[in-house]
Amino acid sequence: MSGAVRPDAVVKLAGTAVYGMDLDVPGMLWAALVPAPIAHGRIVSVDLRAARALPGVTVIGADDLARLLGPGERDAERPLFPHEEIVYRNQPIAAVAAPSEAEARAAVALVRVEVDPLPIVADLETRFPEWPGSEADAAPEIAAHVRARHGDVEAEFRGADRVVRETYRTASVHQVALEPHACVAEIRGDVWYVRTSTQSPFGVREDTASLLGIPETSIVVDGTWVGGGFGGKGSSFLEPYALLLARATGRPVRLALGYRDEFRLGRTTLPAVIRMETAVKDGRIRARRVRLLLDVGTSLPGRDFATGYSIGFLLGPYRTEAFEVEGYAVRTHKPPFGPHRAPFAPQCAFAVESHLDHVARELNLDPEEFRASHLWREGDTTPLGQPVGPFGIFAAFERARATARAWRAESPPGHGVGVACGFWSTSTGAGGEVRLRLSGDRLVVHEGSREIGSGSVLGGLTAVACRVTGLPRERVAIEYSDTSKAPFDSGVFGSRTLGALGHAVEEAAVALRRTLAERLGARGQADLSVDRGEIFAEAGGHRASVGSLVTAEERTAGGILAEGRHFASPRAIDESRVLQGSFYAYTDFTGGAHVAEVSVDPATGAVRVERYAAFHDAGVVVDPGAAQAQVEGGVAMGLGAALTEEAIWSEDGRLENAGLLDYRIPTLGEIPPMTVEFLEGFAGAGPFGAKGLGEPPIVPVPATVAIAVREACGAHATELPLSAERVARALKLL
Amino acid sequence: MTSPPLRFQVNGHPQHLANVPDSERLLDTLRWRLGLKGTKEGCRTGDCGACTVLVDDRTTLSCLTLTHEVDGAKLTTIETGPEDLVVTRVRAAFDRAGALQCGYCTPGFVMALAGLLKERGTAAAREELLDGLGGNLCRCTGYAAIVRAVDELRTEGP
Repeated sequence: MSGAVRPDAVVKLAGTAVYGMDLDVPGMLWAALVPAPIAHGRIVSVDLRAARALPGVTVIGADDLARLLGPGERDAERPLFPHEEIVYRNQPIAAVAAPSEAEARAAVALVRVEVDPLPIVADLETRFPEWPGSEADAAPEIAAHVRARHGDVEAEFRGADRVVRETYRTASVHQVALEPHACVAEIRGDVWYVRTSTQSPFGVREDTASLLGIPETSIVVDGTWVGGGFGGKGSSFLEPYALLLARATGRPVRLALGYRDEFRLGRTTLPAVIRMETAVKDGRIRARRVRLLLDVGTSLPGRDFATGYSIGFLLGPYRTEAFEVEGYAVRTHKPPFGPHRAPFAPQCAFAVESHLDHVARELNLDPEEFRASHLWREGDTTPLGQPVGPFGIFAAFERARATARAWRAESPPGHGVGVACGFWSTSTGAGGEVRLRLSGDRLVVHEGSREIGSGSVLGGLTAVACRVTGLPRERVAIEYSDTSKAPFDSGVFGSRTLGALGHAVEEAAVALRRTLAERLGARGQADLSVDRGEIFAEAGGHRASVGSLVTAEERTAGGILAEGRHFASPRAIDESRVLQGSFYAYTDFTGGAHVAEVSVDPATGAVRVERYAAFHDAGVVVDPGAAQAQVEGGVAMGLGAALTEEAIWSEDGRLENAGLLDYRIPTLGEIPPMTVEFLEGFAGAGPFGAKGLGEPPIVPVPATVAIAVREACGAHATELPLSAERVARALKLL
Repeated sequence: MTSPPLRFQVNGHPQHLANVPDSERLLDTLRWRLGLKGTKEGCRTGDCGACTVLVDDRTTLSCLTLTHEVDGAKLTTIETGPEDLVVTRVRAAFDRAGALQCGYCTPGFVMALAGLLKERGTAAAREELLDGLGGNLCRCTGYAAIVRAVDELRTEGP
């Protein structure tokens, strides 16, 4: 086997890659969490005695934390176990460790919890049947309230030819990484050591320290292979419980979720209501009012970024003279809101694109021409006053429209072709560092994030190192190590790995070539080449083997060292437009435009996507194979959100479809033939002008499918997902 | 409850297991008793296909199979060596097509496709093979590269 396309193919196809779920340490115990029986209530008693009486079983609850952890400063807002109040169903109220999984389950069943029920806030619109006014700020359910505006919105609305108002509703969707969350914790002397399947070993370290109230320097996090992340494995989740049980038992402890709990406890996108109002005069958008009511579950104030960050995507990427945007984050008795691939952006694009398409139809304008004439160009400013950087959204939309025209010319009756844009900002997040080591026969990139499957670490960082040094791929190795040894990196999320960590690799590799030139007695940078298995450096007419340029000290350290760092470059918005809460600036402007051809069953409303095309601005494409794979995967995930995926929460806070049979993600036969094209020439902040690509491909998908459905049958569906039932209702078949 | 000792083969190696509870799933026997963690645990309800193995060359969900059901059978898992020519060919096609990302569904896909080829022969129609993979979920690739791997296998011939 070769690793022809992906270096990790060898271990993954041999079955030898060890994921979090596969961790197996001699003597380890099996852990389980004790779930809260109702979604909201006051704890009367938690009786652990019967469970504790089982042989070999250890049970810990809220009363054991002080004994196990000492007096440190713990995150008071996020207690590991509730002392008094249960705030969502299945919230962990105790944890057990036992010699086997069956014994752990048996112990969980013996825990007796007595709870006085309290009223449950299960749903946004039940709590706020009318849009909340400013008096709502004092309501305990309001976790955040953000507001921004610019221009004379009221005057523009008064002077408009036409005002179009609509309400959109979006569903709770789950990441559905196939590997459940899993970790194994051990106490090694003074060190709290945990191996875990995570997108961010350093993020888990920081978060675990704050939850347990122990210093970061006492915690070591080691990442495993990751069976899918998509935002769901970005911060600490099971690790603090496993570590506490390891401390309590003195043994290694494995804690893994079953797939039902993956759904029930997962932190993900929750339902939202979006109101759009647009004032049009002479065929131009004069003003927009955009309002968001977002369910954030039991997220705490300041920990939900969707209302302040994602809400901005409800205004872009279209020119608006005057606007007002307002968002409420509403606390309900569900698990906390968590990031899911481009958090909440596909939902924003669904509302923005469907609405502007609808506005154009109401005014008898061509919907694509209407959107094209308002799309941002470089040199425009965002509604919050930030200059729009290099951005290929208009070029992508033009390619998509041309494709749509060609498809429409040949599509049969009953089919519809839709086009929509999706906008996202990539390369965000905090900094990262790398260390390079060049020896006589290879270049090692030492870094602190594990490959999660996107290829951004093993493929992307390798491609950057190769491009700067000229070395072939087989001479460059990525070396990952745990948080006690690796250089800091904030993690694989926010489509930041290539843009941020890749940037650090570029900087380090340039420094390395400079060092080599100096040692050769030349200025500038040395070129590297491989000759009969050995790496040579050449500069200013001098040439020498790298082996001969390495000092004796360096030889013991593994080669010539170079370091690179990336810090997110600060960009600003016009704060005078912000009235309340926080709004954030964008880093790289990324996104694209998609085309879908769909057919709709006239009897049932069932939608089938027949073919699909995606046009993306990813800046300079560094790794074409991985780039195409990101778009194909992102579109498929978006098709799920468009058509079938919906986590259904009942009035008593129960997740009704916690399983892969009832929460339907796309299967192989449901994915249409797809073409992918990149528009280059819009440089981002990453190495050579690269932009991130992990998230943007999912963003336009639900909007594209919804507009295609309207083209096919006239159904204007304003709720996600576009299930057969919803389409049938829009067609008045039901 | 435990029954008499079990004998079966895994990847050509004889296994002789005593005291296996009647209720033990093949998935857990492979992973935790035999240490073969290449077979992945996903949903444990037969919906995702990540745990697919071959039992007497037939595609089988190990999460829904009791270990006592495979007494006397020949099992093949992702850990099989190059002596299994069909699995070797499928692996090579996945490698060349880059038909994996996180890799968690990959062992299930490889075994499901190998099982289809063993059952239906290398002349199996494209649709037959793609339909046969409908019970395996992948969240990363959008299946596009997996379809390319299937096409690779078919064009290279037997």
